[in-house]
Amino acid sequence: MEIEYVGERLLPGQLGNAFLILSFVASLVAAIAYFFAEKDQLGTSWKNTGRWAFRIHFISVLGMIGTLFWMLFNHYFEYEYVWHHSNTAMPMRYIMSCFWEGQEGSFLLWIFWQSLLGLILIRSAKDFEAPVMSVVSLAQAFLGTMLLGVYVLDYKLGSNPFTVLLREMPDSVNMPLFTNTKAAADGHLYNDYLSKLDGRGLNLLLQNYWMTIHPPTLFLGFALTLVPFAYAIAGLWTKRLHEWQTPALPWTFFGVMVLGTGILMGGAWAYEALSFGGFWAWDPVENASLVPWLTFVASAHVMIISRKKGGSLYATFLLTSITYILILYSTFLTRSGILGDTSVHSFTDLGLLRQLLFYLLFFVALTIYLLLLDKQTRLVYGVLCLLIFTFLFFVPGAASVSSITFAAVSLIALFYGYFRFFPKETEEEDLWSREFWMFIGALVLVISSCQIILETSQPVINKIFGWTKAPRKDAIAYYNQWQVAFAILVALLIATGQFFRFKKTEIKVFLKKISLSFALSALLSGLMMWGLGLKNVFYCTLLFCSVFAVLANMDYFIRVLKGSISKAGASVAHAGFGLILLGVLISTSKKDIISINTSGKDIESLGTSNKTNILLNQGDTLKMGDYFVTYTSKDFEGPNVYFNIEYYSKDAAGVMKHEFTLRPRLQTSKNENMGMVPEPDTRHFLHKDIYTHVTFVEPESLKKKKAASDEYGPPSAFSIKRGDSLFSSNSIIVLEEIDTKRSLDSMKRFGITEGDIWVVAKLKAVDIKKKLRYAEPVYVIRGNETHTILAEIKELGLRFAFEKVDPNTGTFTISLMEKNSNKQDFIVMEAIIFPWINVLWLGCIIMIIGTVIAVIERIRKLKHG
Amino acid sequence: MKKIHVIGIIVIAVAIGAIMTTLGSTSTYASFTEAAQKPNTEFHVVGKLNKDKETVYDPKTNANLFTFYMIDNKGVEKKVLLYKNKPQDFERSEQIVLIGKCTGDEFHANDILMKCPSKYNDGKPQEKTSGAKPAA
Repeated sequence: MEIEYVGERLLPGQLGNAFLILSFVASLVAAIAYFFAEKDQLGTSWKNTGRWAFRIHFISVLGMIGTLFWMLFNHYFEYEYVWHHSNTAMPMRYIMSCFWEGQEGSFLLWIFWQSLLGLILIRSAKDFEAPVMSVVSLAQAFLGTMLLGVYVLDYKLGSNPFTVLLREMPDSVNMPLFTNTKAAADGHLYNDYLSKLDGRGLNLLLQNYWMTIHPPTLFLGFALTLVPFAYAIAGLWTKRLHEWQTPALPWTFFGVMVLGTGILMGGAWAYEALSFGGFWAWDPVENASLVPWLTFVASAHVMIISRKKGGSLYATFLLTSITYILILYSTFLTRSGILGDTSVHSFTDLGLLRQLLFYLLFFVALTIYLLLLDKQTRLVYGVLCLLIFTFLFFVPGAASVSSITFAAVSLIALFYGYFRFFPKETEEEDLWSREFWMFIGALVLVISSCQIILETSQPVINKIFGWTKAPRKDAIAYYNQWQVAFAILVALLIATGQFFRFKKTEIKVFLKKISLSFALSALLSGLMMWGLGLKNVFYCTLLFCSVFAVLANMDYFIRVLKGSISKAGASVAHAGFGLILLGVLISTSKKDIISINTSGKDIESLGTSNKTNILLNQGDTLKMGDYFVTYTSKDFEGPNVYFNIEYYSKDAAGVMKHEFTLRPRLQTSKNENMGMVPEPDTRHFLHKDIYTHVTFVEPESLKKKKAASDEYGPPSAFSIKRGDSLFSSNSIIVLEEIDTKRSLDSMKRFGITEGDIWVVAKLKAVDIKKKLRYAEPVYVIRGNETHTILAEIKELGLRFAFEKVDPNTGTFTISLMEKNSNKQDFIVMEAIIFPWINVLWLGCIIMIIGTVIAVIERIRKLKHG
Repeated sequence: MKKIHVIGIIVIAVAIGAIMTTLGSTSTYASFTEAAQKPNTEFHVVGKLNKDKETVYDPKTNANLFTFYMIDNKGVEKKVLLYKNKPQDFERSEQIVLIGKCTGDEFHANDILMKCPSKYNDGKPQEKTSGAKPAA
């Protein structure tokens, strides 16, 4: 079968696939070679093989990425990935977003980061190199299978980014291009399809600068969870149960920083560019990366305890591995399609479910296997897992039973391992010691993440037990309710934690030290509660605790550390976290939806209080919160339609003052399938943000057809007297004067001749900006006929005719015609005030700075012993 | 009793609380018929827009009311009153999930989830490749 398509370029695909296979094989070789290198400590040949294999792996990963960019840059639409995620109209600055819009590209990004980290580990891991690199290479091989796209028996393994549309995806003949009968009538269509094919384009939501920086940061964060995990596995494998923590600790802190930044960038993106009205919606996809971050933070803290005094060893192993496993679990959730309708932004389902599940369960089993420190127990557990996996993956209908069995067996093994193999502390920790409260803090984080992951896993639980539970409607309120309680505890621990000493603290000294910041916080938070009018007991408690967290850490930095920056990592990061909590609390609890529907219709009686949208006719001014808003016009700029919304304030004297203009937009797309995407616009003040988002416009009003919108509508006649006014959709028109004394000369330009009788109506139009414009339609009597000379106000799209004079009543009939574009245009929008949201962003930056300081300090300590 | 035991008990108590409230989530997926049997209970109903019947959205009288007809997965049709703005691109939705209560012949929804082709999740049939083998 040798079909040839005109202009088809098969070389990049072949090259890409060559790199793909090479990188996959090389990662497998590296994993195996490093495995034997660990067994065979004396020789260096296995280690050298591993190193070279990994380097080849790295280079071929670069090759794959380069090839995919080459194809994207040159619009090689014969490739499914390029066709699916880009088009010719799209701005090239979003090419990065195209690269990782799809599952394949984002896997590639993840693989890239891990391979880069692998190269660093080869240089830095020293005597841990072999076991650590073995784990890293194995993880790479697993990720590699996601890209293979080959058939094993009847199962398609992975989704290949270099798939050629017509050759490897015969279903593509159903594309509109081919089913469109007009185009298909052309006999050469199939041969020459490339000349006619454009890509589907990049999802409009992703055409945003945040999408250029958020995914790489997040995936670096994902990749960084692998490093401490690999060290933990190496520690268990080589039975060096304590030593692995020293090199793993700076990696953990670095990972916490990067993953945290990535998550916050996602929040910022959602806030700036998505239209769900906030920075956090507890969406499964968001939760899926937040939860591993929480356990990552917890693992960092128990690792500190473990290194300081050797306790909490099991917890350190557990949390370090759970973090990585949760990353795999979140990958499973977001990419397998299991979330179904419950998430607005999970990936397209590519049929990877079983593969992702195996990836996840394999690492769960591996971790537990190694946590059982003796050979026989390991053997028993290993055989059990093998049996269960065989059932799970090969026996149809056994999925539920076998996954429950696996969970049960693994839990029992975890408990057994802990009691059987890990040394119990002979001495109980002192109640007034730092390690005790640090451990409690980690525990609170773990419970908090359990609550989130449990709720997020509802679709998985449904699947396992065959239930039909729907996601709760008030999900955000539900999560907040739980998490506020956890946040209170965490904030309290953050505030007090550092004032405890390791081992034992003199309680009097502790109280003396903490009392200053306690008193200040009580005062400050009291003032804030009063200022904000915060009444809810939980919110008030959290407000106090987060202020306390900020002040106590500042105090610790100033009075205890005496301003020494190098030791201040923890204090700064903790103060930043306190600020984040504070910002989240205030901006969320005091968020004010000001766009209340003023239609007058009561919808409360219908069982809803959803009065969040306001209808604005073009030109109308409506009161909204403390502002008056007007929708003045819209601008067409490329694919975007911007709506100009003017905000005014009214001072005591009742004078309107223009405050600012917001321009929320609708992104439209050439591709009919993509639809429209609204993007909010937000005005930032120091103490608040005003967020505006268009929720509805009439589709017709978005058409740019000048001719249609420039037409005048039917006239409507008004009989008025002098001084009366009439209303158009954008102005008030007053009949100022009836002028019968105009000279013939001044009227000649209208075609008036001697013998005619003429009357001029002087109309004054006042628009919303109080700008005055005049129009003078003329009433003419010529012999027995009457006619009118039209007058127009172009800027307002108004046209007037002077139709009739009634001398008996002294009324005049004026007809008003308006341009269609004037009349129809209205928008429905939502406006929200987020008070003090800048505290949140400030907290983010401070927390990141604090973590960076901590990482630098840890690395410095590592180098100088 | 050691401290660790006290902590353990607290943790277990909180965990049970979390599990109970999660499992006790009030809403379930249902069909129109099932929802009509329990008029005061909130349900999620999955279905498709009936594109032959009219949809009414008159934001000038009420920006928060939109009515249309939906056919659920069992083929039952009901008039839906959605107390929200009409979602942009509504007509192109492939699947709708309504959240609300059923009273008589009408379904009063206070929220809606839509599955549109090619937003995030795209459901273009020709792109699902499971089942199709590559041309050798």
